Amino acid sequence: MSLVSADDLVPPQVGLSHPEPEDWVEALSIPGPRQDHAMSSLHEMMLRACRRQVRRMRSSLAGVGNERLEEIANQAADEAMMAVLTKLPTFEGRSRFTTWAYKFAILQSATEVRRYAWRNREVELNDDTHVREHAPSPAGYAEATDLASAVRCAIDEALTPHQRRITIALLIDDVPIDVLAERLGTNRNALYKTVHDARTRLRAHLIASGHLATPHLEAGTS
Amino acid sequence: MSQAHMPLSPQAARRLTLDTEPYLSCDDCFDLVDRYVEALLSDREHDMPAMRTHLAGCAACAEEARSLVGLVAEQDGLDPAVALRRLEEDAT
Repeated sequence: MSLVSADDLVPPQVGLSHPEPEDWVEALSIPGPRQDHAMSSLHEMMLRACRRQVRRMRSSLAGVGNERLEEIANQAADEAMMAVLTKLPTFEGRSRFTTWAYKFAILQSATEVRRYAWRNREVELNDDTHVREHAPSPAGYAEATDLASAVRCAIDEALTPHQRRITIALLIDDVPIDVLAERLGTNRNALYKTVHDARTRLRAHLIASGHLATPHLEAGTS
Repeated sequence: MSQAHMPLSPQAARRLTLDTEPYLSCDDCFDLVDRYVEALLSDREHDMPAMRTHLAGCAACAEEARSLVGLVAEQDGLDPAVALRRLEEDAT
């Protein structure tokens, strides 16, 4: 089946070859024919969601053929299914089961696509922060450009070398967070926390230098 | 000088100076995103300021949230446009 087939546009439950269980958790948990059907239905859902996600992101996979795209979707669907089954005891019913399950498929397939798209690209981690300024802007952008210059200085002065490396890679060089996490042997949480802390430092530095308004002033003038 | 780095555009400057308080981790965002998306699609009021902040500050989580909106809307035969617009408003 092609990833770009019209079939991907069919609402997921319509295309299922098995009826959707009323109680997914029970159906997936108790061995027997119902469990077999529920497993099949879940895998179909995961595969359809993964194909959809791969299709959404295929512009980042220029030159990759449909066969490889299908392999990526299938691999992601298998891993998403394992994740759903592992996390099944934690499902609390605060959303519908299908919505809850889809997020695993989307996470898995998006991560696979990002990593595949960057598989042959080097990630340069550098804390030399002489980040080039953007080309001169029209007058209307003068204020923003001034902020950009101030931010460039603040990166040098306010961040630790580690914060600089991570922040430049993620927010300036646009390295996907999953790719950077994989290359550094860490995870999204740790990288996002580093960026969060860096932003906090940058903001404090820029507020102190008068380039950013304090939060309460911003609120008062908006 | 690290010539390989992209120029620091005004957009990048805004990303770098985004206020990401209250803090929410990517794992916590993942835990909440299904409820958040259903609330967006049902037009229910939701009180998840940390979620909104996280999606504004994390491109990967935001892309996945947008995708979940589209997928659930497709499943339910809904137009995702309003929910996506609310999501974008939350993320800015």
